[in-house]
Amino acid sequence: MATQPTGTSQDQGDLRLAGEPAPELAGESIEEAQPTAGVGPYRLALRRLRRNHVALAFGIIFLLVLAVSAAAPLYAHYIAHTGPNDNHVTDTVTVGGHVENVVSTTGIPIGPTWHSRFFFGADQNGRDIAVRLLYGGRASLEIGLLAAVITTVLATIVGTAAGYFRGLVDGILARLMDLIWAYPPVLLGIALGTSLALGGLKLGPLTIKGNSLLIPALIIGFVYVPWVGKPIRGQVLSLREREFIDAARTQGMGHGRIMTSEVLPNLGSTIVVFIPLIIANAVLLEDALSFLGAGVQPPNPSWGTMISEGLQLLTSAPHLVLVPGLTLVLAVVGINVFGDGVRDALDPRAQVRIEH
Amino acid sequence: MSGRLRLGVSLTAASALIFAACGGGGTTSSGTSAKTQGGTATVNMGTAPDSLDPQSGYTTQAAEADWLAYTGLLTYAHANGQAGTQLIPGLATALPQISSDGMTYTLTVRPGLTYTNGAPVKASDFPYSLERAMKISWGGKSFFTDYIAGAADYDSGKAQSISGITTDDATGQVTIHLTKAYGAFDNILAFPAAGFVPTGTPMNDLGNNPPPGVGSYSITNVVPNQSFTMQRNTRFNIPGIPQGHLQTINVHVQSNTLTEAQQVLNNQADNFDAGDTVPPTLLSQIQSSAGGRFAKETAALTFYFFMNTTTKPFDNPLVRQAVNLALDRRALQRLASGFITPGCYFLPPQLPGHPTAPCPYGDPNGAPNLTKAKALVQQSGLAGTPITVWGQNRSPRQEYVTYYTSVLNQLGFNATPKIIQSSLYFSTIGNASTNPQTGFADWSQDFPNPSDFYLLLDGTAIQPVKNQNFSMVNDPQIQSSLAKLYPVPATQLSSVASNWQQLDEYVAKQAYEAVYGYEQVPKFMSNRINFSSAVFHPVYYNDWSSWQLNG
Amino acid sequence: MGRFAVRRVASMLLVLFAISILTFLIFQKIPNGDPALRIAGRTASPENIASIRHTWGFDRPIWDQYVITMQKVFTGSVISYTQKINVLDQIRRGLPATVSLAVGAGLIWLFWGIVLGMVSALKAGRFSDRALAVLSLAGISTPVFVVGAVLLYVLAFLIPIFPNGGYVPITQDPFQWFVHLILPWFALSVLFIGFYSRVLRSNVLDTMGDDYVRTARAKGLSERRVLVRHVLRTSLIPIVSLWGLDFAAVIGGGSIITETVFNLQGVGQYAAQSIQALDVPPVLVIVMFAAFVVVFVAALIDILYAYLDPRIRLSA
Repeated sequence: MATQPTGTSQDQGDLRLAGEPAPELAGESIEEAQPTAGVGPYRLALRRLRRNHVALAFGIIFLLVLAVSAAAPLYAHYIAHTGPNDNHVTDTVTVGGHVENVVSTTGIPIGPTWHSRFFFGADQNGRDIAVRLLYGGRASLEIGLLAAVITTVLATIVGTAAGYFRGLVDGILARLMDLIWAYPPVLLGIALGTSLALGGLKLGPLTIKGNSLLIPALIIGFVYVPWVGKPIRGQVLSLREREFIDAARTQGMGHGRIMTSEVLPNLGSTIVVFIPLIIANAVLLEDALSFLGAGVQPPNPSWGTMISEGLQLLTSAPHLVLVPGLTLVLAVVGINVFGDGVRDALDPRAQVRIEH
Repeated sequence: MSGRLRLGVSLTAASALIFAACGGGGTTSSGTSAKTQGGTATVNMGTAPDSLDPQSGYTTQAAEADWLAYTGLLTYAHANGQAGTQLIPGLATALPQISSDGMTYTLTVRPGLTYTNGAPVKASDFPYSLERAMKISWGGKSFFTDYIAGAADYDSGKAQSISGITTDDATGQVTIHLTKAYGAFDNILAFPAAGFVPTGTPMNDLGNNPPPGVGSYSITNVVPNQSFTMQRNTRFNIPGIPQGHLQTINVHVQSNTLTEAQQVLNNQADNFDAGDTVPPTLLSQIQSSAGGRFAKETAALTFYFFMNTTTKPFDNPLVRQAVNLALDRRALQRLASGFITPGCYFLPPQLPGHPTAPCPYGDPNGAPNLTKAKALVQQSGLAGTPITVWGQNRSPRQEYVTYYTSVLNQLGFNATPKIIQSSLYFSTIGNASTNPQTGFADWSQDFPNPSDFYLLLDGTAIQPVKNQNFSMVNDPQIQSSLAKLYPVPATQLSSVASNWQQLDEYVAKQAYEAVYGYEQVPKFMSNRINFSSAVFHPVYYNDWSSWQLNG
Repeated sequence: MGRFAVRRVASMLLVLFAISILTFLIFQKIPNGDPALRIAGRTASPENIASIRHTWGFDRPIWDQYVITMQKVFTGSVISYTQKINVLDQIRRGLPATVSLAVGAGLIWLFWGIVLGMVSALKAGRFSDRALAVLSLAGISTPVFVVGAVLLYVLAFLIPIFPNGGYVPITQDPFQWFVHLILPWFALSVLFIGFYSRVLRSNVLDTMGDDYVRTARAKGLSERRVLVRHVLRTSLIPIVSLWGLDFAAVIGGGSIITETVFNLQGVGQYAAQSIQALDVPPVLVIVMFAAFVVVFVAALIDILYAYLDPRIRLSA
């Protein structure tokens, strides 16, 4: 039965997926639909996706937010004429003929002026919210995309190795994934984020400074590995039993060759389905961590830090929260609806889930 | 959000003690009919006391309650402003007799005193209480271990008792031998941590169930981080110390400052935590509709940016002067929602020794002189030097540092802020291996005495960990003045006020640090409490024992 | 069956043990993070710090510290660094708020998730299905701190119908308890409603294609009866076990942001504050508690399934 937790039958350690439809079904359903692996399924999926106008429209929204954020320095330089960390505490602006303080004497920043400078108003430090929004978007999205790459690569390696070799390798890798999985993601994220933001990170010869964007990206990438790695492992476990793998083995192919040329291509659709979802969740987790002070380090903006700083002035300057909050939602809805369309097109029965 | 001590022990977090504005309130009762006895009040606290055990509590909120419940040999007069810094005898019969070398203090415990549990007060309870504070690791225990003979040995476990204190329960006499003459020792005797608890009280933190004490109120019904109750102690009777009016004071922790302020504004609660920031949103409404029960009091808390005089570029006096010239203290005032009194001297206005001379680098309430500052930086030849500006992630302190960084960049430096976790901030910048160039710092008094502030500019106080002399100042002129001023007893402070003034002016001129102002705190009450007769104490904020209900 | 349960519990304990070590190590790495520096007051001398380090055992080797701390955790005498109060007492005190939040929100998201999921499935492919899909995805995409902030701004400040955060114990005033929790419940549910409705929709669509449903229809049962008795019942099984896990996750610190935004003073907010203060003992205990709840519920569900379905037992 489709909804029975057959995932558990593979291994008692496979915890969270217990309640979810079997992940390996994702693979099976594709094989049922398209028995021959090749370009075929992807072209078919692309055709289906092209007909899904809603998904495409939301995909475009996401790309727009991405593009505008990427252009942050241009906006700062040519339109607002101020940087993301430039203070204008004691400056004044003329709005509708009135001269107004950027930050009032009681510390309340000006709201949206709809002018080139302070289009969305200022924050407590008299910094331009619009400029910070774009730079913050750049940081949030960079981290999101980077984290998605890290998760995908790590999860594919770990999931494939565990599922392919089974035995001891699987025992160790599956336990490791269980460990990360059972650790509440936000708690793990803020514990690591707080610790690494203060101490930086040494990875062999590589030293990453505490305020680098790489730190939250690595943490988020790491936290989500089991959520993708476990379904991949399950899928590899079932792929392994199939004839073409046996055939490859009898032909004398090495494990490395088999994994890269036989197993990996069959994981393609699962991975493609996961990618938009990881991006969306990585952006959300990044903002949650920044909100709790364990993500992007001030004074650099990210949507999460902007919201967290603005929350203190919510009642007198709601734009501090609303502007980054709504932009964040817009971007994430964009990628989520698009990702949903991708899934429908590739593999309608796949159910993937990440928690943040 | 609220509170000074959210995140462990930071500087303000510590026993921040305040001076009331001279001009404000006044002690004279305004004559509105005030009931004298009885009644109940509700106090909102934005941050829970760290512990209500007198020998453990270290934050403002803890001291505010412990001050009334645990009287020591000495205490402060229950009065507004400067008068409240006056030391008076507490459980002792009189102020201490100090030997001519300043090394021996002799006091006598009043006869016939009892604790809230009925037990008699004995002279030997004094050393026991101090030993207990050391065993529980009270945050200020260095004041005991540094000055009382034998206290360090007790603390390190080398001795079973403090050899420098001798007591006689029969006569009530207490003799304390110091390791060196220290005029502020009177102030140390007035700490709530030196408040008496009965000998035999367990040597662990009893914050959830505070031990018996001697005071106008006793602390009961403690629910950690939520609430506690102050109950009037009817057997308390010491001349010169008020016995309290209200029967019961219920203290509630309300960590949402907006709710906290709204409740007081709507008279649902009676007092707003002076350690909290009034939400800017409500400020104008409070000032217009509750102006008669709201006042801003200047606290003895100095905000400054330290400049490490041993590293580039701040080893060059021109650069330090340029920073002092370029800071727009009005901008920082705005970042504090107006709750900063701009200034340039390290000693805050209400402390004896605060200079009256004009500031050496321009009026702190006026526009900065950027042109001159830039010229000085050019002259120093250090323009372009990379600077890391340290700050903590608490608001608005983080904003101060962001602003300061932009000023340094305007001056031609290549400055970047480094904002870290508040709970780690001072241990990080106080670690010699960090060797910070410049950054945020503040100091609030442990007790109203300039020597407490000058610990931060004392060259001999530089230490490898937990250093507080962030500017690494080691100036012979300061050292020689301090050598003369330190031993002067706190009770004779006024006689040397002008010497402190000269010293503080010298420090400002040398631009060892960039002071930008003093904290202002709210005195904000409901209409149920008689506002004008309620004392806002310079050391312990709201003096609950002075509160009376309006008739 | 018994062997399966034993193995399940053993692997659960292993995970908990590893989590406690990981947490301990994460905080050990922090530069200048020596708790003795924070316990000592601002005027502490190096000797004071050394004596604190000794009394608290921070001068011992790390594994020794770990063992001592864990002993204290299990004997219930573990004390926090900042407030020096019993951590377990604090957690016990925060639990009612967290459980109240989780129970209310859990019921809300389960109910609305099912309703919206059923509507979507029944109208599959039509406009209302698509609109609900976008709406659900919007719910999944909106972080709780944005929902929370907007709710507070609009419904507690602009139109002050609801209190501005805070928690009132149910024993003290059931009505105020309810009023204070409405906004947090809703804010926390948004994400899950979106997710559950999506999961249920596809489960229902899957089940509708199954043979036995076709058989039921062929038997002439009414469409409504088929839907409720057969389709919904089957589709709900994974939803309910999912609910168990999510509920466990919320109790175990998953509500950290909701509690912070609404100032509920529960376990999650305690965790957030402790991490901010780098107070290791509470963080350690909360993380272990959280992991325990999650792993325990997961194991329970597994064992339950194994009981229901012998094939799982055999393969294990």
